[in-house]
Amino acid sequence: MNLKISALEFVNEVKNGNISAEDFVSATIERIKNVDEKLHAFLEVNSKAVEQASKVDKKIKSGEKVGACFGMPISIKDNICIKHSKTTCASKMLENFVAPYDATVISKLKEQDAVFVGKTNLDEFAMGLTTEFSAYGPSRNPWNTDYVPGGSSGGSAVSVSAFECVASLGSDTGGSVRNPASFCSTVGYKPTYGLISRYGLISYANSIEQIGPLTRTVKDTAFLLNILSGLDPNDNTTIDNDKDDYLSGIDSGIEGKKIGIIKEMIEDGIDPTVLSATNDAISKLEGLGAQCEDVSIDMVKYSVASYYTISATEAGSNLARYDNLRYGYDFPVEGFEFNSYISKARTKFGPEVIRRMILGGFVPSSGHAGKYFLKALKVKSKLTKEVNEVFKKFDYLIAPTVPILPFKIGEKIDDPIALFQVDINTVMSNLTGIPSISVPFAVSNGLPVGMQFLAKHNEDKSLLQAAHSLESTVQLPEIPI
Amino acid sequence: MVTEEEIERVAKLMKIDVHDHKEFVEKVHAMIDFFDMLDSAGVEDEEITMKDLPLSSLREDKHIPFEDKLIENLKNYKGSYVRAPKMV
Repeated sequence: MNLKISALEFVNEVKNGNISAEDFVSATIERIKNVDEKLHAFLEVNSKAVEQASKVDKKIKSGEKVGACFGMPISIKDNICIKHSKTTCASKMLENFVAPYDATVISKLKEQDAVFVGKTNLDEFAMGLTTEFSAYGPSRNPWNTDYVPGGSSGGSAVSVSAFECVASLGSDTGGSVRNPASFCSTVGYKPTYGLISRYGLISYANSIEQIGPLTRTVKDTAFLLNILSGLDPNDNTTIDNDKDDYLSGIDSGIEGKKIGIIKEMIEDGIDPTVLSATNDAISKLEGLGAQCEDVSIDMVKYSVASYYTISATEAGSNLARYDNLRYGYDFPVEGFEFNSYISKARTKFGPEVIRRMILGGFVPSSGHAGKYFLKALKVKSKLTKEVNEVFKKFDYLIAPTVPILPFKIGEKIDDPIALFQVDINTVMSNLTGIPSISVPFAVSNGLPVGMQFLAKHNEDKSLLQAAHSLESTVQLPEIPI
Repeated sequence: MVTEEEIERVAKLMKIDVHDHKEFVEKVHAMIDFFDMLDSAGVEDEEITMKDLPLSSLREDKHIPFEDKLIENLKNYKGSYVRAPKMV
């Protein structure tokens, strides 16, 4: 069984009767058994996946209406709720938490006959960019298992790139879909804020985060976006996209389009290999008829500080619910006073979560809010204005998804500031709400480099067209696993 | 400059017990120092923009029945009440 096919190829193969969903899912589960001990993409594998795929095959045989996914094996980041399944957020705090309901994205995929093969690893509560902060141990980059796969949706990216599923869902608060997509050489998409419902996503920083797909191809992302996008009464930040078809016209090309190269994202600290790949991407885009030109967005320099201030503040508030009274683990209340019980129970949080909770208490607090939180919001406002201004001249913006190559496990874990700076190219689209996508572009010394495209609000369809154009110029080596 | 005492006070307010005290405070300190760069962004006169959310965009405020007994997911409960530690 060839597991190295795209989502659209899978659909066609099953639709045409060349393969059965059951055989494919069964081979996928076998693949997970063979490689995941080494890669640790999954926190839990769905023991009923093959049975569920078999039900889809029966529907096909009996001529019943079958959903667009035709039994496609998809993995789900473990901060998205699937009813009656464990959702741990890679935290000991939620080790035994069983979700009582489906996230909207899960309901939509179920309606389309997707099969969930398992829940994937992440940095605890999605706070990190390497998966090293998972309470259950890090995932490993399938291109070189000594290296981090990126994060926080690292398990999702590993599962797609190592053929342990056909596609995956992650969440992106400051680059958590695009960063691991870049490090593992998959497509990773952060849609316009509000395009995909976040109902059932365990909250980290609500004002900037989005659920996004990780796939093998840009067309697969468009296919999933058709299923996942749209208004949801359970998430009032969702936007009406008039049931746009993101696949139609995806081959439109980028001839005559204007692309801005964000100067601040290719300056200080960029790895020469990544810079060279960026220049190569620009040449290829020009070869396709696009006009590329440098552009400066001054507030990018302050975007990481703004992002961490805002996300920590929202995290501090969101994590306050984990008092072990409504969510938590077996820890009796007898013998404790209210505050000391909660403090004691919260020792189950990992160190990064605790650090961010403290930051989240500090930066908006009386006496400090003016210096930190309010200033961060002002940077966010000014950045949004600058980006809107730039889009008056350009159709798209481009920058490498991450300015450095994947690094070794353990290399940066003790240096929070070095980790902050890895986010410099991804946080802008979260702070401004615009869509962005990471496309696999190069492999250098066995380590992937992803290229990031950004477009203005609600231009997701056009963005996918541009990303597909760049993707079509790339031929990458086979993954060595 | 943020003091260690301030960080400790916030940790207490957030109901968090801090282990590995010295290393922990040092890292939090480094993170807050990093945020100091916001001072040089020159945004003092910038207005904070907020997105309006009209009431008409909110879903109707009506009870939606839930099929499962959610309270049974808790570790500590009695009847239909959450069991919490004593306040005093």
